[in-house]
Amino acid sequence: MTIRKRFWPYLAALGPGLLAASAGNDAGGIATYASAGASYGYGLLWAMVLVTLCVGVVQEMSARMGAVTGKGFSDLVRESFTLRQTALILLTLLVANTGIIVSEFIGVAAAAELFGVSRYIAVPLAAIFVWLLVTRGSYGWVERIFLVLTLAFLAYIGAAFLARPDWHAVLAETVRPKLHFDFGYLNLLIALIGTTISPYMQLYVQSSVVEKGVTPDEYRYTRFDVIVGTISAGIVAIFIIIATAATLYPRGIKVTAAADAARALEPVAGKYAEALFGLGLLGASLLAAGVLPLATTYMMSEALGFERGVSRSWQEAPIFMGMLTGLIGLGALIALIPGLPLIPVLVGVYVLNGLLLPVELFAILRLINEPELMGEHVNGPLYNVLAWTIAIVVSTLSLTLIVMQVVEWFR
Amino acid sequence: MLFLTSVMDRPVEGKSGEMIGRISDMIVRIGDDRYPPISGLVVRDGRRSFYVAANLLQSLNGTARLTSSTVDLQPFARRSGEVLLRRDVLDHQLIDITGRRIVRVNDVQLTRIEEIYRVVGVDISARALLRRLGPRSLAGRIVGRQIIDWSDVQYLASAAPVQLKVSYDRLAELNPVDLARIVDALSFRESAEIVAALDEETAAETLEEVSDERVADLLEGMDQERAADILEEMNPAAAADALEDLDDEVAEQLLARMEPEEAADVQVHLEYDEDSVGRIMTRDLVRVAENATVGDALRMIRSLEEVPDPLLAVYVVAVDDPDALRGLVRLRTLILADPATPLADVLDEDAPTVSPDDRAESAARVLAEYNLLAVPVLDENRRLLGILTVDDALATLLPEVWQRRGRAYS
Repeated sequence: MTIRKRFWPYLAALGPGLLAASAGNDAGGIATYASAGASYGYGLLWAMVLVTLCVGVVQEMSARMGAVTGKGFSDLVRESFTLRQTALILLTLLVANTGIIVSEFIGVAAAAELFGVSRYIAVPLAAIFVWLLVTRGSYGWVERIFLVLTLAFLAYIGAAFLARPDWHAVLAETVRPKLHFDFGYLNLLIALIGTTISPYMQLYVQSSVVEKGVTPDEYRYTRFDVIVGTISAGIVAIFIIIATAATLYPRGIKVTAAADAARALEPVAGKYAEALFGLGLLGASLLAAGVLPLATTYMMSEALGFERGVSRSWQEAPIFMGMLTGLIGLGALIALIPGLPLIPVLVGVYVLNGLLLPVELFAILRLINEPELMGEHVNGPLYNVLAWTIAIVVSTLSLTLIVMQVVEWFR
Repeated sequence: MLFLTSVMDRPVEGKSGEMIGRISDMIVRIGDDRYPPISGLVVRDGRRSFYVAANLLQSLNGTARLTSSTVDLQPFARRSGEVLLRRDVLDHQLIDITGRRIVRVNDVQLTRIEEIYRVVGVDISARALLRRLGPRSLAGRIVGRQIIDWSDVQYLASAAPVQLKVSYDRLAELNPVDLARIVDALSFRESAEIVAALDEETAAETLEEVSDERVADLLEGMDQERAADILEEMNPAAAADALEDLDDEVAEQLLARMEPEEAADVQVHLEYDEDSVGRIMTRDLVRVAENATVGDALRMIRSLEEVPDPLLAVYVVAVDDPDALRGLVRLRTLILADPATPLADVLDEDAPTVSPDDRAESAARVLAEYNLLAVPVLDENRRLLGILTVDDALATLLPEVWQRRGRAYS
């Protein structure tokens, strides 16, 4: 067998996993990583490495479920859990996704303001634009343009090198876990988990595996895709933290607006830093703002059995079209609330995501270990220990944050 | 009316009212029966599940009452051919044949017909969901159902984790366009199950309407011999689209397995770019020599083994060269003219033509501008390759991608 023959299937399978993991680096992701670097320097690098490992594990399980069962996540949930559990899981996913849709429109607002355009003009325009693209179905090539724009974030890798960080410290912090129990730190840690392991990424990976009709035999290629995607997205995230930690942290600049996060790009882009950041942010936000409402609406309609499809009319599929339009409208409206502090809200959305994550993780764990569904492809014992540890640690952190928040209120 | 969710987890009592366990599931054999019979209950007592044959069932009304107090406690083990109503039917997807759509089962209706409990319908209403979500005491206050008769649904065998022999006869009631819509909306494996159940001709007609990527995946997933047979039955332009989405290697293997004549037809289309006239044109047309009369032309059409559909015009060509187009005569003219009229007298010589390399869109504009139903396709040497019909053009103008793209994210 030639080398080309042996490796080609792996290269050909690259796609869904890569795309899903990169989608984690959207408006909220960038805001969270930049905040982490600016507020805690290299102090959260170790967490980013561990979180990347977690993403890999969770994404892998989702992809495997898709390949073995041939069914999407919401299908499996509806068919394997009781109706009440299904309702809880779907509701959690709906809330988490709605939060992210809001965050994407906030991303649009922040990007627009970098270019001196009022968000009251940019956000409604973006909402109408996205709605038309999705319902008129000409999303394909536009999606590619957005994707190319997001490459702007690769500039952070250059910025990190040019900022001449103390590589010794970077390395030390990467391998030395340090947990502080102060509220802000924990908040960012949860946000970091929430943005990196977003439920919609798992939904996306699983359904694209199902769509492509990947069989258990071909699954190893998909697993390669998932691993490559996870690592590359992790690397970008880590460099965003390094870049902001090296430039913003020493000067005591907290990331409260998009312009602050853009400032970390100055070593690379100089006075064009804001423009570069703005383009990347716009691309990432519009990309997800188009995909997420549609994905969420499909998920709900499929699980509940409503007539669905963007090619259906309002009369044929009123609930589907109503929900799709409602999600886009709601996201845009919330992003327009006057005086909304953009970056803190972005981070807040991912805290919420992190808090809701345990529900999804435990659902995945139950499904993946069900022999009737997965046959011989259930988790191995060691893998299960790892996966359960992740779920329990994430849950514990989420609970701790909630308890600390409640204590804060009563103090 | 008796519904599955209202008896689920209800007590099972022996002859004299002693508690034996609770109803965990019902076993049904989905076979040739119009209304499949319940063959037994899965009864749970603590952590144990055991099987109770349906003939021991005296009544099923709030509680299940058995005709005997002693039951043989065989532990329940699933056998092939057995479908569990709660595990494999409730909350799963079915095809609603009359409604031509995919539905989800929110409840299952049972009826006792001559001492045997049978599945008679499924409830797909959202109210059934609400009843199940709320506390049982409130369930009775939510009224209204939307029941589909079991004889109007198609069960998907892939919903159950056992080997099943399911009859797919009901699918024959759907026309290929509706079947295609369902094939596109189902997950890949379910759609493969449906296509596998169709005869080659119906499968071909269906796949012509299914989105290209799904067709490619389906062809790749099935036995190559069958894939080649289906491709032969498909219209060559659609087959070319499907093959182009496949790996080159697989596409070549499939072409090699096809009848040489059909394969050659498909290859002609593959020579042209996607969205070009050459890709979507129809090569199936009626050629008549220029020295013929109207009557000759009509006789010739009637004598054809396979008449092109739609038949819009006949194409008049040189006597010694079937590719040298002289003009066309519309069917309307042909029918109205006296049979003795030479074709040359009714010939339309100035009809517009298009090139196979033209974009489909610009060719569609020609059709619209000149109010034509079809336009001849000529190569650079003015030789007749085929015709482009309104149908062909319309299909490329209405993008099919958006019917499916959303699914990839759900």
